[in-house]
Amino acid sequence: MDEILDRFGAPHRHAAALIDALEEMGRDELAAAGRRRDAIFMQQGITFEAGADGSLVKDRPFPLDLVPRILPASEWDHIKRGLAQRIRALNHFIDDVYHGREIVREGIVPWRLIVSRSHFARAVHGIRPPGGVYCHVAGCDLVRDDDGTWKVLEDNVRTPSGISYVLENRVAMTRLVPQLFNRYRVRPVDHYPRLLLEALQAVAPATEGEATVVVWTPGPHNSAYFEHAFLARQMGVELVEASDLVVRDDVLYMRTTSGLARVHAVYRRLDDDFADPLEFRPDSLLGVPGLVRAYRAGTVAIANAFGTGVADDKAIYHYVPEMIRYYLGEEPILENVRTYLLSDDDVREEVLGRLHELVVKPTGESGGKGVFIGPHTPPDELEGLADLIRRDPGLWIAQEMVDLSTVPTAGPDGALSARHVDLRPFAVFGERIRIVPGGLTRVAMVEGSMIVNSSRGGGSKDTWVLEAGDPAEDGATQSTQVHDVVPRMPELRLGGWSDQQQQQQQQQ
Amino acid sequence: MLARIAHELFWLGRNVARAEATARMLDGIFSADLQGRPDDPGLRLTWRSVLRIMSAEQPAQVDRDSVLRALTLDVDNPASVVACIGRAREGARTVRDVISAEMWEAINTTNLTLLEGDLSARLRKGPYSVYGYVRERSALFWGLTNRTMLRDEASAFLQAGGRMESADMVLRMLRVALPQPGDDISWRDGQALALLQATGGFQAFSRSVPGAPDALPVARFLLFERAYPDSVASAVHAVHVALERADHAPSRSEPVLRLSRLVADLEFKQRTSGQDADLARLCEEVQSELALADHDIADRYFAGAVAPGIAIT
Repeated sequence: MDEILDRFGAPHRHAAALIDALEEMGRDELAAAGRRRDAIFMQQGITFEAGADGSLVKDRPFPLDLVPRILPASEWDHIKRGLAQRIRALNHFIDDVYHGREIVREGIVPWRLIVSRSHFARAVHGIRPPGGVYCHVAGCDLVRDDDGTWKVLEDNVRTPSGISYVLENRVAMTRLVPQLFNRYRVRPVDHYPRLLLEALQAVAPATEGEATVVVWTPGPHNSAYFEHAFLARQMGVELVEASDLVVRDDVLYMRTTSGLARVHAVYRRLDDDFADPLEFRPDSLLGVPGLVRAYRAGTVAIANAFGTGVADDKAIYHYVPEMIRYYLGEEPILENVRTYLLSDDDVREEVLGRLHELVVKPTGESGGKGVFIGPHTPPDELEGLADLIRRDPGLWIAQEMVDLSTVPTAGPDGALSARHVDLRPFAVFGERIRIVPGGLTRVAMVEGSMIVNSSRGGGSKDTWVLEAGDPAEDGATQSTQVHDVVPRMPELRLGGWSDQQQQQQQQQ
Repeated sequence: MLARIAHELFWLGRNVARAEATARMLDGIFSADLQGRPDDPGLRLTWRSVLRIMSAEQPAQVDRDSVLRALTLDVDNPASVVACIGRAREGARTVRDVISAEMWEAINTTNLTLLEGDLSARLRKGPYSVYGYVRERSALFWGLTNRTMLRDEASAFLQAGGRMESADMVLRMLRVALPQPGDDISWRDGQALALLQATGGFQAFSRSVPGAPDALPVARFLLFERAYPDSVASAVHAVHVALERADHAPSRSEPVLRLSRLVADLEFKQRTSGQDADLARLCEEVQSELALADHDIADRYFAGAVAPGIAIT
């Protein structure tokens, strides 16, 4: 289904004003705005590495499509409630895994499955972070079915990235195509860094004065370094690397020009594996020795908490609806895409017979790595895949194909055509769960393709969540009269050597 | 130096600074205005507020496009960006022999570019490029001033004018944006964020002040923070330093003494005023004190010839 146009090619009610504005702009102007966008993104360094072809690493401007995606307020409300519910359940689950294992004893999730997950962290057994919050930052991938139902495709609760593009996309849209906003009230997104900072300060150990928060990056060579620097800059906190950090007597410090300074909370953008060579991978050069000890002592908050990755696993994903029922006693607001765990013999055999119509994913990966899309994979590769699955079925899951919804998208010449999209909203969990309106809409730039990952040629769209009561949605106009008490302002002075200038003019 | 030349330089500085401040303000408010702010019922930086900030006439019907046009490209409106640049260009032409050739070229090219081509079409499509241009050219002008102009009395008057204007513009915005005594509109971060964006100080604020960009911390920052170059306190300080340099007898100079007292006063208020201080009133006081300093400057250096200025209402 298309989110902007109905079956007959007429715009849905909330999209009518957008289509009008686009028609008024015309194809050429849209194409021209696209060229300005590329130039501005290159200048501002909003790029990503398109991969090293030969020796030169080429940066490409981040691909933003200038046609926005519009989510009416009611729709967003549904998504928001569903996500908050899901994240609460996942957080319960992580706590449970490292403490009482109630869900295992109830026979809902098998313990064998949990401990075999690559991101299960034995080292943090029994540690409960402040406030009992583990997944401070979450980005779930959502898709829409043919009938428009929202479904969750993946839970990203390790280090989901993309929020910087959400903010930069919005800024770029207001600069490049302000006329599209004219008849909408779009909910702003630029408060995300503040939400994140507040959440990090809320979970930091108690201190006099403000807690010191840092963003921890693996370094400038990381493909998401732009985002790390962006968040540090927006929050006004230090961007640190491992060599800046040191643990003394179970307390984390950073090295500054005036000696060691205590760090209370770390927003880390690298995996558990690399974080502390004493507890995780001993060969990690990116880690801080002793960090887990400090974490265990409760002197520093880590976001997301160590061990959170267990809930990020695609085999665990299968159980999330059950978790929601078990921990919260609620029915899931957002459903999963139908998923098959391949460790069950009967299920596996059925799946192996249908590989050409299913999507197969490795459980511990993210970013579209190692994913096989049945209908688009040659038969000999599928046979190889079947062998891989038979060898180690626990490392794979299979999912039904979802026919992603589409949104009109501008080509290089400014012509619009439908392209498939997904949505990654971003949630921040501090004292409570806050979700930034919209999120990153990723779009497959090739006709008919369902691959939206930007590392594989996907693009993005600005996602507009409309205010409740937006005139474009309700078809009614509203006027907000602001009570305006304004002080008397002195006149604006203009200078001018007045007399002499007048005399000169008289003489001319 | 000649009183007339000192006066031209002072106003050259003011006009360049005003063009930049106006461009930043319009750009910041424009992007905030495109998006809704549901949590902030009383957004005060409305387009009507912008007119108030610039002491411009208040027509019955105020809409975004007309304000943008009037304050950006209307050559007949003395408060518009092009009018400011135009006056700066005339001023620079008068003092061509005093300023460096590069400075003159910078300001002259800016004026030519703003007048040529279909700027109003650019403004309609997206004002960002117009404001971005003015911002860059202003930075170029001041950069060239620092690199190529002799640090003499002439440059002191130029600097004094520029900093005087930026203090005035920030105070104007603060006064309109801050809640008035007896106001029941609760002031939230949306407005403060718009104000910070309108002054270009968002990043400096978040690096310097821990905590959220709520109204009062933002107002305190823009008013008192000496480490931020565009705060009122550092602008007033810079005017004081410049005039001290230019004055032949600073210890007996009315404007220097007045500014010196204002600098100390701001520092004192920063330390003593609590979170509940009436910043709106303080801004008003600082503004009128600066107006008096402005008169003193005209009296002492410009032979009093233009003391009241040409007022627009």
